[in-house]
Formats: sequence, structure tokens, C-alpha cells
Amino acid sequence: MISIHSKKGFDLNITGSPLPQTSPRETPVCVALLPEKIPFVKPRLKIKEGSQLQIGSVVFEDKRNPVIQFLSPGGGTVREIVFGPRRVIQKVIIQLDQEEERVSFPSYTDSQLADASRASLVEAILKGGLWCLFRELPFGDIPDPDIEPPSIIVSIDSREPFQPHPAVYLKGKADLLTAGIKILEKLSSSVHVSIHQDSDMPAGLAKGIVTHRVSGPYPAGDAGVLLYRTKKASAENRAWHISGQDLLLLAELIRTGQYPVERIVTLGGSLAREQLHIVTRMGAPLPHIAGENTGDPPRKRYIVGGIFRGYIAEKDSFLDLYATSLTILPEGDEKELFGFARPGSDKPTHSRTFLSSLKKAPFTVDCGVHGEQRACINCGYCDDVCAVDILPQFTLKSALAGEVEESLAHGLLDCVSCGLCTFVCPSKIDICAVLKGAREAYYKEMQD
Amino acid sequence: MAKWHPLFEATESFFFIPGLTTQADAHVRDSLDVKRFMSFVILALMPPFLFGMYNAGYQSNLASGASLTLLPVVLKGLLIILPLVVISYGVGFFWEILFAVVRKHPISEGFLVTGLLFPLTLPPTMPLWQAAVGISFGVVIGKEVFGGTGRNILNPALTGRAFLFFAYPAKMSGDAVWAVVDGVKAGAVDAFSGATPLSIAGLANAQEKIEAVLKAADYPFIKLLLGLYAGSIGATSALLCFAGAALLVVVGIASYRIIIGGIAGVLLTGYLLNFLAGDSSSAWLSLNPFYHLVMGGFAFGIAYMATDPVTAPGMDKVKWVYGFLIGMLTVLIRVFNPAYPEGIMLAILFMNLFSPLLDHIEIRLKIKKRVINV
Repeated sequence: MISIHSKKGFDLNITGSPLPQTSPRETPVCVALLPEKIPFVKPRLKIKEGSQLQIGSVVFEDKRNPVIQFLSPGGGTVREIVFGPRRVIQKVIIQLDQEEERVSFPSYTDSQLADASRASLVEAILKGGLWCLFRELPFGDIPDPDIEPPSIIVSIDSREPFQPHPAVYLKGKADLLTAGIKILEKLSSSVHVSIHQDSDMPAGLAKGIVTHRVSGPYPAGDAGVLLYRTKKASAENRAWHISGQDLLLLAELIRTGQYPVERIVTLGGSLAREQLHIVTRMGAPLPHIAGENTGDPPRKRYIVGGIFRGYIAEKDSFLDLYATSLTILPEGDEKELFGFARPGSDKPTHSRTFLSSLKKAPFTVDCGVHGEQRACINCGYCDDVCAVDILPQFTLKSALAGEVEESLAHGLLDCVSCGLCTFVCPSKIDICAVLKGAREAYYKEMQD
Repeated sequence: MAKWHPLFEATESFFFIPGLTTQADAHVRDSLDVKRFMSFVILALMPPFLFGMYNAGYQSNLASGASLTLLPVVLKGLLIILPLVVISYGVGFFWEILFAVVRKHPISEGFLVTGLLFPLTLPPTMPLWQAAVGISFGVVIGKEVFGGTGRNILNPALTGRAFLFFAYPAKMSGDAVWAVVDGVKAGAVDAFSGATPLSIAGLANAQEKIEAVLKAADYPFIKLLLGLYAGSIGATSALLCFAGAALLVVVGIASYRIIIGGIAGVLLTGYLLNFLAGDSSSAWLSLNPFYHLVMGGFAFGIAYMATDPVTAPGMDKVKWVYGFLIGMLTVLIRVFNPAYPEGIMLAILFMNLFSPLLDHIEIRLKIKKRVINV
């Protein structure tokens, strides 16, 4: 096992962290697929409103590569297809039947798996609709199944605040994880499995499975950071990655021949009714997870996918395919008199300019910007927290100036979009968004 | 009315942290903003500012033969310093607001610091109109023509001071400018020389020791460190300037690399010059380098001016180089250029120009080590 230390980063110590306990939820009335939230995909619907679906029926495919399919997370009737501006498909809502039917896929026993060819496994994953769980660095697109990646990175613990604890989602599933890694080894000659030092190694995990033990603050556990820390040559850049929990889904599909629909998600944040792990369905409605009505006071923000990388979800929306957390935070839109001159013993901050930096206790965080946007003053705080050393303050300027070559030389594509540069910036510049925009523009240009 | 929005916004945001919320990821933001960042510099400026006020009153009363007890001295100091500060902030803000309104950008908090730094670098006798001209030059040419705080290449307060230094040398140098003398009382004035330690040191003959000359002129080392002598308003007390620097380093606003680099630059250059000293060479060469730290404006400059993040390099390693070269240049200007008794101002402005180059070099070296990812 290789130890990797990533010094830069920041662990935000805030209240509302989910307890390592699980609470099951009853089956929801309906589930949904959110094609809009799957990056880069151009969906082509295969169903209509009113269509009858089984768990595992094809709902839509990617126009760019139709072998990549997205399957129904529930058995029942398509209740509604919600279109957004310019007819982007936002939601496909499926009303669940009492008795849900399942499509069955080929299953593999351990010995069959050992003998299976790469092509047959790829075929099985594609047909089973879970190819989309793989992502290709650095852009995060779904990879081309015909290409063998330089490596596949499994990050068991992303360290982003409020994501499921590996100890919880791996409980009793260590053999499934082992099987999952066996599958990955068929797909690529090099499989890296990383776990954070602070996480307990799940019991029953086969020896030698974990290849990298990472330490350091968020985003140390991120696949992109691991790649940055380990790569020796440019050929390794296009590695694939998959999260620990997603790998379990993959292994379940291959072993049982059934499309897996169970998800463990965290419910966290200071305004969540309870803070714990919830066993629920893929695509479950958010009110179902939050355990409260949508009629609650409006000054709460629902964040799906983490406080640094997630998106604001409407309170009646659903979990997207990749989502593993729902965080409920106060909006924080109150003005604060003489805020700049207060000692601030309860302010979450990376700097040392508040009394709170002397305390160890967790603080309540809100979604306020806590200031107004100003020009960059070159304080370099963003560089202090950048785990992949891209010098955000300089890359920001080259990206804004449209200097693509310069940005790339700085390591724009190594950026893992952890959002910390945006978080710490005293000038309140959304650095991460600028870098992400520059990266996406470059990706688009490459594809055309 | 809409064009006055920057003014409204500045006034409102002086009192309130506005209730803006994030619109996308990252959803949470640090509680620190530029206003608090700059406020800490103001806070760190308070010791030299308050002491400077007291000292200006003390020197004035000393020169005028008036009472040296606390209250009259403080009142006198207030009378001398407050108009300068008011003029600096008033005229500076006028330009800030004008540019903000015309160019439709928000008023940056950076000026809060510039507006206080600038008067502290002036002699107490500075005519108010000249101070107004100086801050105007500093704000307009030093900053606003480049697009405002964050985009300037030179420290605006020092740019203003440099302008005054070259435009009105009679009011910025010599022995007569460092204390306000009023109500001429013969005799008392004679007892007061008004010469600064740097100018006394500059007059020392080759055979003399500067330390001894200073001591003879009643400027022992400890007095230079504590600062109760005539000089630029905020810059006489090296001790308080270093205390302010320590505060800024502790809260992570100022770079310790620049400050320590600067001190190292002064000491190392000073010691190297000691080796060059011969019997007939200038008395400066054999000066104990620690005197360079406490004389003149070095402490003030390295603590508050050189650490301005906008005009200093952004990369960590070259901050050492930047600080070191500021210290070195300060000593070289003092020792080898008799035309300028003080070197820190020009040293910082000169190194400001080199910041982008220093950054460029370190970035190139860093990029070379990366595995290319395109």
C-alpha cells in the first residue's frame, strides 16, 4: 500500500454532520431520472408519458454514443416528462407500481467472472445501464467503452463534507467491493483503490485491495488529486474513476443480474430535521429523504451533491443518478451590522482573522457570500488550499484573458473543481467557476 | 441616480455585510472579505499612528518650548496630524468615488489603507495642499489609471509620497521639516536641531563612527528603536512598526517571507559593507547594520508597504527574494547615494516593478515540474 500525503486543502469544520447510522425509508410513491444533471450527455428518450417500465427498462440513451443507456430506477408508469428551457429534459418521473417488475440481465458467479473477457463484461455493464458510473478525467465525461484506460481509480472516501462514510455504505459489503475491483481489473490493467487515512478500513475487505492510503484535508481523497500525486507521464491523464458506492452497484449488477436501485445517501446540514445516513431508492424524491413537507419556510437551501460541488435543488425535486447527499443549509441572506469589525468567535473561516480560528468546535455555516466581489488582491489564499497546485490566482487571470495555452500549462486540467479557491477568496471571486468554464470550453473545442 | 450606486453601495457596505447569497457551487464561503482584510491593516497601523500623533505633538512642543506633559502634547499632535489624515481621506475618496462612478466599478476597501498610510509617511509640517496633491497623484496615477485596487503595479501611498519627494523636495527633506514650530520663543528653538538620524549620519566624517555621532546628537540606539524623535509621522518608532508587522503576520494578512527577507537583506548587506570599510571610506560602511533597521522609515516600509499583496509578488519563494532585495536596496541607497538620505521608498517602488518578473520566473520553474496535461 502506498501512502500519499496531500498537504494543501481545507477541512471545513461545520455543524450538521451526518451520524454514522442508517435509517431506512419506506418505498417512495415515485422516483425520477434527471437527464439534465448528467454532464455532457445528449439524451434521446426511448419512452413516452404513460409508458410502462420495469426496473431496468431503457429510459433514454446518449445520442453521442447510443450504446450508453440509462435505465429506469423503478417499475411503473411514466407519470410526467418535464422539459426545461430549450426543451432540455429535466425530469422523467415514474409512478411506482405496488409490485415492481424487473428486467433481468446476465449474471456472473465468481468463477465465471474470473474467466470473463473484457468485451463481455463491457457489454454486460453497458446493457445493465451502469456504464455511466465511470467518469473520465479530467472532464468528467462518460468514457468510451472501446478504449482501455491507463488506470481506473476507485475513491472510497471523497472527504467532501457530508458524503456517506465508507464504514456505513461498505458495512457487510466488503465482498461486493472485492468483486467490483475484480471487474475493474478486467477493464484496465491498472486499478488504484484509495481510502483516506482517517477512515476505518471496512471489516472483511480482502488484503491487498486498497492500493493507496491518502492523508490530508479535503480534497485529498479525490480521484483527481490521487492521479495528480501519482502520475509520472502524460499518458496517465485520461484515467477513469468511479466512487466506492457506485462500484458496489456495478458489482451487484454483475453478480445478481439485476439493476440495483438502492442508494445510501446522507442527510445533513444544520437545518436538516435529522442528520444521518438514509437507505433509499435511486432517484428518490427529496422531500422523502428530508423527511419533511415542501411547505417548510423558504429560507432553507437544499443542496444535492455536497456543499462545495453540488447544485441547488428545488425542494420538490429528486436525487439525480450520482447524488449521494442532501444538505440543508440556511440561506444566510441577512445583513450584518459592522460585520467586518466584529471579533467573530463563531464564523467559519480558513483565515486567521476571526477569533473562531482559535476554537476547535464546529460552526454553523450558511450560504451567504459574506462580502461583495472585488478585484483580485493577489493574497494567494487560493493557492494555500489548492491540492493540485494550479496557482488559481494566476490561472484565473489567464483563463479570463482567454489564454488557453497558458491556463493549460498551469495545470487547468488537473483541477478537480473542489471549490476551495472560491470558498477562501476574500475578494469573493468565483474562481472555480471560471476555471470550470474554461475547461468546458476547451473540451467542447476539442470535440468539434 | 443609478450612476451614484457605487457611492451608495460603499456607504451601505461600510455599515453592513450585505446579505448576498451564493447562486451555485461552492455554496458556502469564507467569512473573510476584503473589508475585513483591509481593516486588519488599519488596526495594525494604529500603534504607529497613535504614537506618531503623540510624537508630532511632542516634537512640536519641544521645538516651540511649550509644555511636554501628556495632554498638551496629545492635543498638539491631534492638531497637526488630524488635518493631514482628513485631507488624505477626503481628497483620496473624492478621486475614488469619481472613478468608481465614471467607470462603474465598486469602491474598493483598499483605499482605507492607502488613505491612512499616506499621511503617516509625511513630515508633520507638510502643507495641506501639497498633501492633497500627493494623495491625488497616488490615487489617480498610482492606482486608478490601471483600473483600481488590485490592478495597480505600484503602491499608491508610496507613489504619492515619491511624487511629493521629487516635486517639493524643500518640504520633504532637510532639517526644518520634521517638527511643527510655532510661537517663536528664542532660545527654545535653538535647543532643537530638528535633524533626523539619517541626516546626522549622512554628515559624519570618514574617521568618525556613526554610532558615536548619533549618540552625541542624543540619538542612542534605544531612542531610535522607540521612536521619540523627529521624523515622518508614523515611521519613527521601529518597535511599534515591527509590532504591527507581527500582528499582520499572526493573522495571515502580511507575508512573513517579505518582512523577514527584508530584515535579512538589510543585515546581510550591512555586514558585507562592514567588510569593505577602510580608514578613509565613508562612515556609513562601518555602521552596525542594526542601526539600518531602526533609522528612518525602513521598519514602517517593510511592515506596511512592502507587504501590500497587490504590488508584491504572489509566489512564496520569490517573496523572500523580493523582501531581501528591498532591504538590500534600502541600505545601498542610504550608503552610496548621498542625494537621498532615505532609501526604503525608492527600494519598494523599484521592487514593485520587478514583482511580475519575479512571479513569472517562479511560475515557469513550477510549471516545468508538472506532468503536462492537455
